[in-house]
Amino acid sequence: MLKNYIVVALRTLRRNLGYTSLNVIGLALGITCSLLLFLVIRHELSYDRFHSKADRTYRINVDRVTANGPENSAGTPFPMLATIRASLPELTPATHVFNEEGGTFTVLSTNDREPPRKFREERPILFVEPEFFDLFDFETNGVNARQAIKDVNTVLLTQSIAEKYFPGENPVGRVIRMNNVVNLRVTGVIPDAPANSDLPYLMLVDYESSKTVNSFVTDDSWNSTYSNQQIYFALAPGASKTQAEDRLNEIASKLRDRAPGEKYRYTFQPLSEVHFDERYSNFNGRTVDKTTLWALGLIGLFLVLVASINFVNLATAQALRRAKEVGMRKVLGASKGQLMLQYLSETGLITLVALVLSVMFAELLLPYLNQLLELEIQFSIARDAQVALFLLVVLVVVTLFAGFYPALVLSGFQPISALKSKATTARAAGIPLRRALVVLQFTICQILIICTIIVHHQMEYFRSASLGFDKEAVVVIPVPSGKAKDLMALRPQLEAHSAVHASTFALSPPSSNIGLNTSFKYDDFSVERNYSVNLKIGDEHYLKTFNIPLLAGRVYQKSDTIREFMVNETFLRHVGVKNPEEALGKQLQVNGGQSTGKIVGVVKNFHLASLREEIQPVVMSTATSFYFTYNVKIEQSEAKAALAHLQRVWSTAYPDNVFYYDFLDDTIARFYEGEERQAHLFKIFSVIAIIIGCLGLYGLVSFMVAQRTKEVGVRKVLGASSASIVGLFSKDFAALVLIAFLIAAPISYYSMSKWLQDFTYRIDIGSWVFLAAGALTLLIALTTVSVQALKAAFSNPVRALKTE
Amino acid sequence: MLKTVNLQKKYTTDEVETTALVNVNLHVKQGEFLAIMGPSGCGKSTLLNIIGLLDNPTSGEFYFLDKEISKFSERQRANLRKEHLGFVFQSFNLIDELTVYENVELPLIYLKVGNAERKQRVEQVLEQMQIAHRRNHFPQQLSGGQQQRVAIARAVVSKPKLLLADEPTGNLDSAHGQEVMQLLSTLNEQGTTIVMVTHSPTDADYAHRIVNLFDGQIISENVKELAIL
Ligand SMILES: Nc1ncnc2c1ncn2[C@@H]1O[C@H](COP(=O)(O)OP(=O)(O)OP(=O)(O)O)[C@@H](O)[C@H]1O
Ligand SMILES: [Mg+2]
Repeated sequence: MLKNYIVVALRTLRRNLGYTSLNVIGLALGITCSLLLFLVIRHELSYDRFHSKADRTYRINVDRVTANGPENSAGTPFPMLATIRASLPELTPATHVFNEEGGTFTVLSTNDREPPRKFREERPILFVEPEFFDLFDFETNGVNARQAIKDVNTVLLTQSIAEKYFPGENPVGRVIRMNNVVNLRVTGVIPDAPANSDLPYLMLVDYESSKTVNSFVTDDSWNSTYSNQQIYFALAPGASKTQAEDRLNEIASKLRDRAPGEKYRYTFQPLSEVHFDERYSNFNGRTVDKTTLWALGLIGLFLVLVASINFVNLATAQALRRAKEVGMRKVLGASKGQLMLQYLSETGLITLVALVLSVMFAELLLPYLNQLLELEIQFSIARDAQVALFLLVVLVVVTLFAGFYPALVLSGFQPISALKSKATTARAAGIPLRRALVVLQFTICQILIICTIIVHHQMEYFRSASLGFDKEAVVVIPVPSGKAKDLMALRPQLEAHSAVHASTFALSPPSSNIGLNTSFKYDDFSVERNYSVNLKIGDEHYLKTFNIPLLAGRVYQKSDTIREFMVNETFLRHVGVKNPEEALGKQLQVNGGQSTGKIVGVVKNFHLASLREEIQPVVMSTATSFYFTYNVKIEQSEAKAALAHLQRVWSTAYPDNVFYYDFLDDTIARFYEGEERQAHLFKIFSVIAIIIGCLGLYGLVSFMVAQRTKEVGVRKVLGASSASIVGLFSKDFAALVLIAFLIAAPISYYSMSKWLQDFTYRIDIGSWVFLAAGALTLLIALTTVSVQALKAAFSNPVRALKTE
Repeated sequence: MLKTVNLQKKYTTDEVETTALVNVNLHVKQGEFLAIMGPSGCGKSTLLNIIGLLDNPTSGEFYFLDKEISKFSERQRANLRKEHLGFVFQSFNLIDELTVYENVELPLIYLKVGNAERKQRVEQVLEQMQIAHRRNHFPQQLSGGQQQRVAIARAVVSKPKLLLADEPTGNLDSAHGQEVMQLLSTLNEQGTTIVMVTHSPTDADYAHRIVNLFDGQIISENVKELAIL
């Protein structure tokens, strides 16, 4: 029986090759996208799930509520772990993970002839304790990692670093120098960190060495935290998380100072949330919102849905052609169930073909997707049970969804009327449903178009919004910590190039991920404020270099330490000063009373971080020891020459270091990487949805035209114009687009308003977006319809009438 | 074999009510060859469809193999159809996607006849209908007469007790028409009961008995060979 079904199915498909290929291509496109999205979602959900203790592993976070709003951080005070080990034995194994975001590495040679080789790394170098390997199950390839970093100044290299630094050599026993401050002995080579971990180390260094590399780490106060200093631990089986959390807070409350009215709590964040909770950063520098994953899943579903709808539409439209076959089979005694099974297996066959194609497409496209999303996803169905299962589910669901209704329609034909073939029942079959489905397709397409336009628009806004300072043609060059003076001495040489317009030494550019927050006192110092201000450190050329306008007063004078201050407009609003002139000359104290000075200037507000965040109160001052960057405004058209010049001078100041730089606008663009990727995905998938929809529409219309050839012929004989013939077919679809628009507009308005709420600075959703999307869909639909309708309109009416 | 008592059939479509059959009382015996004749639109096909269990009467009784079946469900009728009935239509109604062989095989598949027996029975009936040499052709590749022979082969391959034919020669020229009638006649001699609708008096001559229908009523019957009854 099945053989007979398949034979008939294959022959039917071949006979209707046009429709079959429309169906197969549409389905294959839809399934390809859903498969790729499945891989992406699965990858994101797999982060750090492979550790055997993953389900009871936590990270310690700090949640604080201030007048500026909630502040969340994954940083911990440096003495905390010792306290935990002494008083909370159920938190075990526990380890520090200290992240130094890259650094300069010098490979010391074993003889005097070769010069040392230098490398610059930008990704995490993790400083960990031996317990790290009790807690996490990273692949070590037989190396006893616990033992390898037991001693101070030891390092485990990953495979790719080992190959880069020691090509063709055995690195074990060799020495590399980090940031020109510490020599590390290589004790082993381990595989690269897996792609799905938020601890993406390039090297693992013993924790003690971090104290030499980073001066923050020697701080033994409970009052400061540093976000790159994190604690991970496993909770003993059966122990209560809340009890342990309470106890830690109880102990800590006795050890740390408390600001008045401050709400402060250490919380245990499950490892499984580290990848998703965007309130805290992770060492991957990337969290994924779970709603984004849901949205991607939904889009995948949508695409398959749109493709399946094509299927239902084309199949029901074709039902008439098959009425005779159905009728005859029924006369011969086929039951309804048998017929349904036959048509379902036909659908299953098409889906299977589409499925095979989509696996091929997916393999082809995956590298591009990886590149776009900066991921390292791999798959092979042969060894991947989950993917195989996913495809099986898709096969069954699509077959049932796409095949069930057409099968029902076909098998429901009455044998006599079906045999009469011109059966009106067959013609009427499924027309209302077909319309509803076309509306659904248009709705999905329009939602995607509207979302794409809005996301794109917001991205444009990110790029073009005035940040309150110039970000174009500004080069940011890191300065080795504590050594700014060496370069400052060369300022005349640095600026002695026609392409260098202005330059400033500073902690960081105006918009930056690096910031100092400090408590402060204003004017008479009597008012205690429970919020902090952002302390921007930069020399007297800061405003000029970034073109930040001054509202009142003057720029502070050159100084090596904090002496004079400038503040921004938000600061004035916070302290309740209306007129900028009023603030001039007022006393200000920062750093817990360590630095006092006068306000000499007020600057116009500029953005401190991404446009997601509000502008904080800012206090600006000078302090040479905090100058970690050298920022240069150059002539864009002579960037190459300017950079060469800067590198030359820079290298004379720091002969042991590696010169590198970033363009400020690139750094700022990176704030929106996540959104940029979303925008890209949206664009790609809307285009695909539209293509799939058009394929279906094209098939449907060509079918309708074929069915109405005779009608068109008669109308033309009676003198109808080609335009009126096209109108005949277009009218219906235009109405459907309109209905879809009425459904799509509110849905997309609602979801996009929600999305935009994440950004403090955002576009308004203009009505033009909806009109444009509606018009675009209408245009696409009518073009698709017209292509077919015109064929009918221009055909010879005599020929059309003869064929009947 | 079958018997109808006061059979009525009305079609109702939007306000308009057509009475296709009025009080039809018909009795067909085992082994009979019956022809139904009458002007176009008098209800011949309607009657044949009811006899063929493709349609239900509006009222009246219908006995098939001594069972009153006018109220049978579609599924029950489908079962009776595939076991006991064979159909031949004016327009052949072969399935275009299937070869001659596969078309003839189809009823046996629905009857779940085993592979070997199926093959043997299909071959046999193809030989009998003199169409075996075309077994791998598709319907469109055959002449009308050949197509109708395939249709008859398909109708009789399941060895039905009753063969129903609606204008089996309607689409054929007279030479091919005679060929088909010859076949039907042979089948009847071998024991198959046949009810045939026809417009052609020549065809009707092959039957034992002719029923004349007019406006849904039987107006006359003439029995040709009393001896057979
Ligand atoms: N599905 C239907 N709906 C409504 N009326 C119908 C339907 N089928 C048949 N009729 C009507 O019933 C009557 C009998 O039709 P039927 O097809 O039985 O005639 P016929 O004798 O077979 O005619 P012909 O020789 O032309 O085939 C006709 O008046 C026809 O219009
Ligand atoms: Mg008829």
